[in-house]
Amino acid sequence: MPQKPNLIMERAKEYIAKIEGHGSLTINWEKGLVKLNVLEGERLFEGILVGKTLEEMHWITPRICGVCPIAHNLASLASSEAALGIKISNQTKLLRRLMQIGQNVQSHILHAVFLALPDYIGIDRITELNQKDPKKFAMALALKEIGDEIAYVVAGRNVHPTQTTVGGFHKIPNEKELRNLQDKIKRNIPKARALLQIFKSLNYPRLKVDLELLTQQNGKVISNKRAKFKISDYKKNIEEEVRNGSTAKFGAYKGGEYMVGSMARLYHGPHQKIALQSGLDFQNPFHNNLAQIMETVFELEDGIKIIEELLRNKLNNLIAKPSKNPPLRGVGAVEAPRGGLYHEVRINKNGVITYANIITPTVQNLTSMETSATTLLKQYPNASQKELKHLIEMLIRAYDPCITCSVH
Amino acid sequence: MQNRFSKKLKIAIYDFTDCEGCEVKLVSIKERLVHLADRFNIVNWRLGQEKIKDGPYAAAIIEGTPVTQDEIDLLRELREKSKLIISLGACASIAGIPGIMNKSERKKWYAKIYGANYKPKGIDALPLSAYVKVNHMIHGCPVDEDELVRTLEELLSGKTPRYRRYSVCLECKLAGNQCRLLHKKICFGPITQGGCKAICISGGSPCYGCFGVREEANIPALVKILRRFASEKEINNHVTMFFNQIPEYKNVFKQALKNYKK
Repeated sequence: MPQKPNLIMERAKEYIAKIEGHGSLTINWEKGLVKLNVLEGERLFEGILVGKTLEEMHWITPRICGVCPIAHNLASLASSEAALGIKISNQTKLLRRLMQIGQNVQSHILHAVFLALPDYIGIDRITELNQKDPKKFAMALALKEIGDEIAYVVAGRNVHPTQTTVGGFHKIPNEKELRNLQDKIKRNIPKARALLQIFKSLNYPRLKVDLELLTQQNGKVISNKRAKFKISDYKKNIEEEVRNGSTAKFGAYKGGEYMVGSMARLYHGPHQKIALQSGLDFQNPFHNNLAQIMETVFELEDGIKIIEELLRNKLNNLIAKPSKNPPLRGVGAVEAPRGGLYHEVRINKNGVITYANIITPTVQNLTSMETSATTLLKQYPNASQKELKHLIEMLIRAYDPCITCSVH
Repeated sequence: MQNRFSKKLKIAIYDFTDCEGCEVKLVSIKERLVHLADRFNIVNWRLGQEKIKDGPYAAAIIEGTPVTQDEIDLLRELREKSKLIISLGACASIAGIPGIMNKSERKKWYAKIYGANYKPKGIDALPLSAYVKVNHMIHGCPVDEDELVRTLEELLSGKTPRYRRYSVCLECKLAGNQCRLLHKKICFGPITQGGCKAICISGGSPCYGCFGVREEANIPALVKILRRFASEKEINNHVTMFFNQIPEYKNVFKQALKNYKK
């Protein structure tokens, strides 16, 4: 009688641990090639949205990913508002930026500390850090909490926002709540800086990849290697390859792989110099973990300034209205924790969604992950297969893939 | 569950197809997680660790919808090897947002999204209970931290966790919200189990009933109130957000809408 397969043990060994979603690796040792398999089930969100209303869109799309729900909420709101010809107020812009800060901090801490750090300090799961170094563990929890707190105050909940609506907010925080939040952020910045010192001191595996880094900036997507393009032309430039056996598509910018996320934002942003001085290597994808913690510090500092700006004027909750002749189609783009996120929507005259398209950051990073992993095999000719497999898993984790997002 | 104070309970944590937001909630119970982790032997939590142990398990806590055949097979194996199956969140409990997609529509959307030559992995988005017996459901999209801790602690002490016997309305009143129904907005609060602290309504969002329909809920009475200001189509649309794959809820709505007379 054939033995019954033990799926529990088989799958547990197959899946890459400590990443969001289900993925596995196929390494061809002879050819020196690495293939990433995405095995998450398809939920077909672009189909789920058709027939729903715009007010439901930003409520449904956060459920694509519980690690970056705010990013999906913001992208859906932006695409809906573009479709309705809505111009949001400056206050709404600031509050949404604050949501984005909360999102980035939550996600970066969760990933860099809870999922990636154990590799570097020789533990299996982060709760073990509590026995090893309770002070560091408390610091990490405090930072996760400040990200959550920003999300609670502005978005209504740490996972899946409740307070946002097309045109603005159902509900906004009052002055006192914002002031308290600001104080709390201030108190946490020294902790974020201390965490950055830890991440600066980690022994990142060496790797040199000629990375192309893309980020959204002022309505355009810019690259360190090629010409920029308009966000509204995202579909013409970001190609998605469908592979059989993979439930996620693999992204490319006109045929070439690229990386999005913290590293790309730091490279193209105002802090590039500080990042370089702090030892960030923009050609080593392992440094994405360092970039995330660096960005956490900058984001929290920005948060203080944004709250200050919000409090300069009297808070006033007005929801912006649709224009008279709205285009009924819109693209909404936002820099999610893992990089550029694109939502596109079309509606009919009754406000019902007839078309939706979503391109997530991880889809864009998948191709780069394979290239970097293949490069790693070449650059470690003397390592054993076991060591290489571990290094490649660490590398995949460093990219912080969100498989659930990539399939959606 | 008999050896309540002796051995650590071996708990397996699993996620099927979903957003993993309920696991994020599990992580965000923070200090309490450490305290719980000391008392449970948590294994197979792919998101949080590499430690793998085969069954038997005192309980398997499962998040997500089993969409692929592989997930369905794994779920059946987990059922065989676990004393308790506990669903974590709306996807596992009532199929959640993935359940909006009907099986009959999947083929069309595979072709539109992936192209005609794509070989799909997914079969249908149904709750765990469509395939195996579920001992307890931790409801919510996402789950609430306090409910999560309460359930885990009750498990630990050998109790079978109980559902809240009151509706969201109670918590909504305690939160000081104005009644959405009085403002002619569709609300499933009256028929939905409490435990969520009415967090969506407090934030200004609708209640779609993600905590599941409460025992003895009077759906026809709610439909009667809703029909005073909402169309049949609007109510049906509201139903599909979380109840699309739960015939026992959906059919009661359908019947009540049919029976409704002005």
